[in-house]
Amino acid sequence: MTSSHTSVPSYMQGSTRRVGIMTDVHRRFLQLLMTHGVLEEWDVKRLQKHCYKVHDCNATVEKLEDFINNINSVLESLYIEIKKGVTEDDGRPIYALVNLATTSVSKMASDFAENELDLFRKALELIIDSETGFASSTNILNLVDQLKGKKMRKKEAEQVLQKFVQHKWLVEKEGEFTLHCRAILEMEQYIRETHPDAVKVCDLCHGLLIQGQSCETCGIKMHLPCVAKYFQSNSEPRCPHCNDYWPHEIPEVFDPEKEREAGISKSNKKPLRSRQH
Amino acid sequence: MPRGQKSKLRAREKRRQAQIETQRSKSQRSRRAPPTTNTSAGVSCTRSDEGAKNQDEERPSTSQASASTDDPHRTPLDQKAILLVEFLLRKYNMRDPITKQDMMRQVIKKHKAHFHVILKKASELMVLAFGIDVKEVDPIRHRYVLVSKLQRTSDDRLRGEKIMPKTGLLMTILCVIFMKANCAAEEDIWEVLNVMGIYADKKHYIYGDANKLITEDFVQERYLEYRQVPNSDPPRYAFLWGPRAHAETSKMKVLEFLAKLHDTVPSAFPAWYEEALRDEEERARARFASLLRIGTTANVPSGVNLGSLSQL
Repeated sequence: MTSSHTSVPSYMQGSTRRVGIMTDVHRRFLQLLMTHGVLEEWDVKRLQKHCYKVHDCNATVEKLEDFINNINSVLESLYIEIKKGVTEDDGRPIYALVNLATTSVSKMASDFAENELDLFRKALELIIDSETGFASSTNILNLVDQLKGKKMRKKEAEQVLQKFVQHKWLVEKEGEFTLHCRAILEMEQYIRETHPDAVKVCDLCHGLLIQGQSCETCGIKMHLPCVAKYFQSNSEPRCPHCNDYWPHEIPEVFDPEKEREAGISKSNKKPLRSRQH
Repeated sequence: MPRGQKSKLRAREKRRQAQIETQRSKSQRSRRAPPTTNTSAGVSCTRSDEGAKNQDEERPSTSQASASTDDPHRTPLDQKAILLVEFLLRKYNMRDPITKQDMMRQVIKKHKAHFHVILKKASELMVLAFGIDVKEVDPIRHRYVLVSKLQRTSDDRLRGEKIMPKTGLLMTILCVIFMKANCAAEEDIWEVLNVMGIYADKKHYIYGDANKLITEDFVQERYLEYRQVPNSDPPRYAFLWGPRAHAETSKMKVLEFLAKLHDTVPSAFPAWYEEALRDEEERARARFASLLRIGTTANVPSGVNLGSLSQL
């Protein structure tokens, strides 16, 4: 009953262009990617190989980039795409299925009540305005009285924050909250549009910046992985803007091979992110 | 690279440019400076190998707050179908039950009269693009589940996680058990399942042999415990939460599930809510204690992706 080679019906396609071919390999891949929410590149590659194995053992596994571009060309008409990003703290390449049909907090509306959505907006504002990109649990909970909709107690708000973590919108670290890398991928546009003045931007890649390092002289900011790449093997790092000495520790460029060889899985490296799934 | 790939990309570029031109004249929002290097989160993978990085390139959808009707090929119902697909995909992710009411309120809105058409279009898209079926499990109360058309394989997991169990059914059973003071008689479970149209002696079109599923499969997967009631003659049986259910979900989550089915909040069930809160506190304490014991060389992967039920 499942047709293996189909493309999206013509009424859903824009203009006369050829769309990629979608097979069960791609569908299984999408289902599993969605199930995990966000995946690291290494896992994505494994997933891709697994999907090929299940459906089409003899076919050569397409290069990941082409595989994903193919899928995206089909999903484009649905305003859905597999987006690639990089984690802000340690530069891991990640992939997530993001939906661009709604570009606001309303994409969370199916899972959260009005007051919960407002709590998210408040937490988001605190995160954006903060120096570190983290908002403390206390500060967020203190805003509980200002929420739209049904009145929420602080205890309930704590639960809601955990729900945000479970749904991969926020991440918790030692009692403080920041945006999950998936949330950044999916909501970057919304964030930039709703906070045009408060939002920070990386001086190197010009992408949205939540966590990063700043120059203490001129104030420009950069993502940690951007810093790592820019100052790689530079013994005298200097601010690209004002040329003053860069005062922070330069992080390492993420190396997937090194990590795998060391045999440490991602989850073991961060024991303090206790409630991140 | 497959033939025609580069020209496909170029053609897509051209088409995007054309769409941006039409929307630029309509859009009032200020544009952001797009990233020129690829290191930050949020740069689409489709652009990574395009040589000509146009400064103003932007996905046409970004200037649409909700898929607008600018595209001449799209009818308003098509737009709604697309939004419904987004809604359904989030439900698939979270293994939540889906009601017609939810869909009406959150997506369909003023197009109520066209619900069936929109749902049909959306269902078609779900099958074609994702291999997911939208099935009505309860025609009276209009409840739907999302079922993958693709066969489960034992390897559909990463790092030891299991695939998610049958949508909603397990949660319903865990719910009943919780409501019956953590131990539910077999009859209680079937009473609830029968209302849902699931019977012990009849093959169900989604769940198949439901009796085997709950007394054997779920038990084997350690989600449920199936015990004989002591001193019962003829032997009667009861269900309890299995160790895996305890590990992968919680009383609070199950209560949230129940609340959602009744379109309310967990605190509407004060006694169960209190119990669930206590359970949450206990779990938090236990987690903290285990972290302190293990220290920084955690063998238990922290942030363990707790398998199937963690997404519920």
